[in-house]
Amino acid sequence: MVPADMSIFWLRVAVVLYAAGLIHAIVTVLRRQPAWFRPALAAFAAANLLHAVSITESWFATGLLPANNFFQSVSLCAFLIGVFFLFVYWRYSFASLSVFLFPLVFLMALLGSTEVPVPSWSNDGVRSAWLLMHVALVLLGYAALILTAVASIIYLIQERRLKTKTASSLFDKLPPLGTLDNLINRSMGLGFVLLTLATVAGMTWAFIESGTRWIGDAKIAISLLTWWLCLVMVFLRTSAGWRGRKAAVMSLTVVGCSALTWAAHVGLRPELMK
Amino acid sequence: MRLAITGLNHTTAPVEVRERLAVSADALPSLLYDLRHVPGVTESMVLSTCNRVEIAVAADEQCDTESALAGFLAKSRNLEEAWIRPHLYHFRDRDAIRHMFRVAASLDSMIVGEPQILGQLKDAYDAARTSGSINGFLDSVVTRAFSVAKRVRTETEIGQSAVSVSYAAVELARQIFGSLKGTKVLLIGAGKMSELAARHLERAGAGEIAVTNRSPERARAMAELFRGRILDYTNFTGQLHEMDVVIASSGAPHFILTRDQMKKVMAARRNRPMFLIDIAVPRNIEPSASELDGVFLYDIDDLQRVVQNNVTSRQTEAGEAEKIVADEVERMIARLKARELTPTIVGLQQYLEGIRSAEMERMRGRFGNLTPQQEEALDALTKAMMNKIAHAPIAELRRQAGSGQHHHFLDALRRIFHLNEG
Repeated sequence: MVPADMSIFWLRVAVVLYAAGLIHAIVTVLRRQPAWFRPALAAFAAANLLHAVSITESWFATGLLPANNFFQSVSLCAFLIGVFFLFVYWRYSFASLSVFLFPLVFLMALLGSTEVPVPSWSNDGVRSAWLLMHVALVLLGYAALILTAVASIIYLIQERRLKTKTASSLFDKLPPLGTLDNLINRSMGLGFVLLTLATVAGMTWAFIESGTRWIGDAKIAISLLTWWLCLVMVFLRTSAGWRGRKAAVMSLTVVGCSALTWAAHVGLRPELMK
Repeated sequence: MRLAITGLNHTTAPVEVRERLAVSADALPSLLYDLRHVPGVTESMVLSTCNRVEIAVAADEQCDTESALAGFLAKSRNLEEAWIRPHLYHFRDRDAIRHMFRVAASLDSMIVGEPQILGQLKDAYDAARTSGSINGFLDSVVTRAFSVAKRVRTETEIGQSAVSVSYAAVELARQIFGSLKGTKVLLIGAGKMSELAARHLERAGAGEIAVTNRSPERARAMAELFRGRILDYTNFTGQLHEMDVVIASSGAPHFILTRDQMKKVMAARRNRPMFLIDIAVPRNIEPSASELDGVFLYDIDDLQRVVQNNVTSRQTEAGEAEKIVADEVERMIARLKARELTPTIVGLQQYLEGIRSAEMERMRGRFGNLTPQQEEALDALTKAMMNKIAHAPIAELRRQAGSGQHHHFLDALRRIFHLNEG
């Protein structure tokens, strides 16, 4: 194996280990309490080490800092975020940041690892099933996010009503804030998980399908931005406890971006029908 | 058969009168026993609560229920009839049914929509049943009253809003937290009103009730009531972020909780909602704290305003409930009338069927056995004739019953067809 291949090999192993961090974040969001942090942290640290190996290999092979193209710079950035997190955790024990950073680093590393194309689909059935799964996950994720946004707006109305102490029969039937809060947490957690899986499925599909061509596409950028906003929302809610107006604006933004992403992707269909 | 109700309530009699007439649960069986011996009374039930004493009876048409029941009530309580007479009301038939339905639906209560009255009526009904004082006519009216009360509860919102300050606090807490299971409550100050509100919260499932007070003795006494812990009055704010509901009623002349303190508390709670009830005068919590996200601050005036709104909305709902009651009274009367007519209608049909089958038998004797076809044809023919004969008087009876003028016609019909014999 040439050093460039070795570099991508170590990066892929690191991605697999980073996935443990993603699983930790998902379980934490769904259960609404920290879960499996220690093993995830160990895997994350190991992944970060292998990531360093990968970058060093690449550096030695080319003699240049591996930030020459999009993939390399994303990978490098992911590595630095990982180092940053480990440092912050070691220095300040800021564990709740993991919900935000673990999925981010995983996805960025995954993106970086798609620099070298793999052989195309061996089976047409797998190709379409994979795509179908991606679309189904996206749509389910959108449904959960829309539910989150609607519940956030109702929360806002109910909160106003209780704050201003006005008894209006129109809103008397609104559910209690506690119930809405639970609903928002659940639907948002579910939406985030579905969207994350959908993004991973979509990225790997596009990677196998068209090598590196897909990365420059604007709709890919919108999709990743939507996922990132969703991640920010989940983080602000779980660690900073964003509720009320801020949470409503945030969830509406995510739903708006989801709508844009969807609109951008509908244009894909004719191309896929070929 | 007639239905009659005599009694008094909080609107017709002051408490001095009501307490003299009140009947304890132990005394109820003997009172019901005595009622059975009032001439003309066939069924009876006695309802005695702190706001009303009523006797409901089913009696013969001829019975003067008004004087009979007033006399009985005075005698049984060893009072002058003339003394209680001005406080008594008396309802008969349609009005009695309407009154019973209104009482069951809590429309006649001091606090309209309060739910206890239905339970008290059920107890009165059980006592009457146990002592064998209620069986047919009155029974059907009372059990119907229970369904009417249920219909009013489900179709209107008469009992849904709190009409006392301490209960309004619990209702608001429910709107904030949903279930109150496991909610943590802190009482600052150990006043009567905060005790009442805490008791309501405890009943609604609050998980822990902590107390802090300037005087440790009173804090201890209050904490014992709720088996709660005591927080140190000088630095309880350190644990404030654990609390979901705070009821402040201390006599402190200044703010015990400021906006800045609450800001820190909310950050420590990660903005999870917190319900602050300030029933102290002067107020204990800085009013601007309510501007913070997730802080719901209600002072005594706010709570009273909630109660006032609820009272007004109950009055609106009561209008709806009255419509339901009016509708149910009509249905009940129609049902009672149908019940009154049924024996005559069935008797008439049986009488005609008797003639028909006797004539068929006679004909068989004269013409010998008929073929099955002939038998069937004759059967159909005679049945159709008898139905047509019965149709006109039954239809007329029903028509007359609708206008309430059916008694003479009913009597005539029974005589013409000899329905009173045998």
